[in-house]
Amino acid sequence: MSIDADTIRHLSEVSVSVELQTEDMTLNIGPQHPSTHGVLRLVARVDGERAFDVQPVIGYMHRGYEKLAEVRTYPQITTIVNRIDWVAGYANEIPFITAAEKIMELEVPPRAQYIRLILTEMARICSHLVFMASYPLELGAASPLFFALRERERVLDLLEGVTGGRFHPNFNRIGGVKPAYGSGSMTRKWVQDLPAGFYRDTRAAMDRVLEVCDELDNLVAGNEIILARTKGVGVIPVDVAASYGLSGPNLRASGVPFDLRKMEHYLPYDELDWNVVTGTNGDCYDRWWCRLQEIRESAKMIQQAIDQVPEGPIQAKVPKVIKVPKGETYVRAENPKGEMGYYLVTDGGNGPYRVKIRSASFSNLSILPWALEGALIPDIIAIMGSLDFVLGDVDR
Amino acid sequence: MSSRTVPGSGLWKGMWVLLYTMVRTIFKPKKYLATVNYPKVKETPVARARGVIALDQEACTVCMLCARNCPDWCIYIEGHKEEIPPDKPGGRIKVRNKLDRFDIDYALCMYCGICVEVCPFDALFWSPEYEYSEAQMGDMMHDMDKLQDWLATVPDQPELEK
Repeated sequence: MSIDADTIRHLSEVSVSVELQTEDMTLNIGPQHPSTHGVLRLVARVDGERAFDVQPVIGYMHRGYEKLAEVRTYPQITTIVNRIDWVAGYANEIPFITAAEKIMELEVPPRAQYIRLILTEMARICSHLVFMASYPLELGAASPLFFALRERERVLDLLEGVTGGRFHPNFNRIGGVKPAYGSGSMTRKWVQDLPAGFYRDTRAAMDRVLEVCDELDNLVAGNEIILARTKGVGVIPVDVAASYGLSGPNLRASGVPFDLRKMEHYLPYDELDWNVVTGTNGDCYDRWWCRLQEIRESAKMIQQAIDQVPEGPIQAKVPKVIKVPKGETYVRAENPKGEMGYYLVTDGGNGPYRVKIRSASFSNLSILPWALEGALIPDIIAIMGSLDFVLGDVDR
Repeated sequence: MSSRTVPGSGLWKGMWVLLYTMVRTIFKPKKYLATVNYPKVKETPVARARGVIALDQEACTVCMLCARNCPDWCIYIEGHKEEIPPDKPGGRIKVRNKLDRFDIDYALCMYCGICVEVCPFDALFWSPEYEYSEAQMGDMMHDMDKLQDWLATVPDQPELEK
């Protein structure tokens, strides 16, 4: 490059001030970024290496489930709510079905409740194992992915063996779990109870899950780089977490023992011996650690629950065409991602009048502008990944 | 855990895990291999797996319950009434519903299984078969003869836990 005389004169006249005024840049992350767990777009104003004014742009995956639910019957809605948080499809059904049962004042048989509990905890293990797989990957470690996803596949096989679906089980019915397979009065009725060998396979799978937790503990928590990138990064204090409506492991990592499984008695959790895991600092590492401990707690819960599954029917007596009487209720449950609630308004028909879905990821994501204020650009991915949201759960 | 170690020791530890796992998998593939070589080796899905819906044309009475209960209305049914002559002279003429068209659009299907569940005559079954992907979306529409062919793949249901 040749420099002409004008440029040289121009360069000589440039005076550099002590405080360098740099121009802000707008950085656009997503909507198609692998670490955004779906289609989330972040618009950040970047000053050097620091990000300010991070605005999440959501809605790319809006499917209108609240509206769709208004024109469908109760059994049909179960298939829709499966797809809200697809990583733990089974856990989404529970609060919705419980809400309808609450309005109908229906007593669910204990065996069905235990089956629900076991499968919900399996869904929680699957969801947290996906986090165990994806979070180190976002930080640049590829091998935990294979450890975690291998074990998740075994747990998903168990879920599929009972329900018939890996991701979208559609197994809950009002009054219990799916009773029969061809409800035909003519020939055979295939009862959808637990298949033979389920207890044995579950025990083996839970042992493996506990084993892989130790492996992951060793692999991830023993890695200096991951510790350097997560410890003290993205600290969310208790009051901020509470004011943004965080729930689930994200809130518990900040030190609040808020667990709806202990507070709301929608499933027989109080008959099992387990602890609520809480972190101390509320940083990215604690959120990772909380989820790892929750996998262990869930595995222990399942091990206890399969010893205590009572005998009996798996569905209460319900009419063939289910009509829920007029009423309204709000039922919340502890999803793997946090608090999931359904505000259900019914008008006596065979479909609801209005369903408002409170999904955990939406509230968890709302803290992003606060948490990313002044964060380094590499930390954007670390903080965003540690909140563990699924965009299907955000946009619905 | 966060105490400083010798620089580079983590690398060797990682290499050791890699080597150990690799040797383990090579010598005991049955126990440690987590994947299968798909088109050559196939995994058997569980008996309850919701793969494809099979239709028993004889059992179907064109009651349309499945089409009405489908959450995304992907079942198309047409039928007509048919008179069956009486078995013996002077008997009553029976009227039966005959199936003309039974299409399931698998491009739309959500695999929820409600149609199988509501069928009062046991005409629909789940088969764990999964290899029916198509290059054209329109070919995902399975007609009644194709659905009848799936009936051969319907397995017996598993034994229940005692």
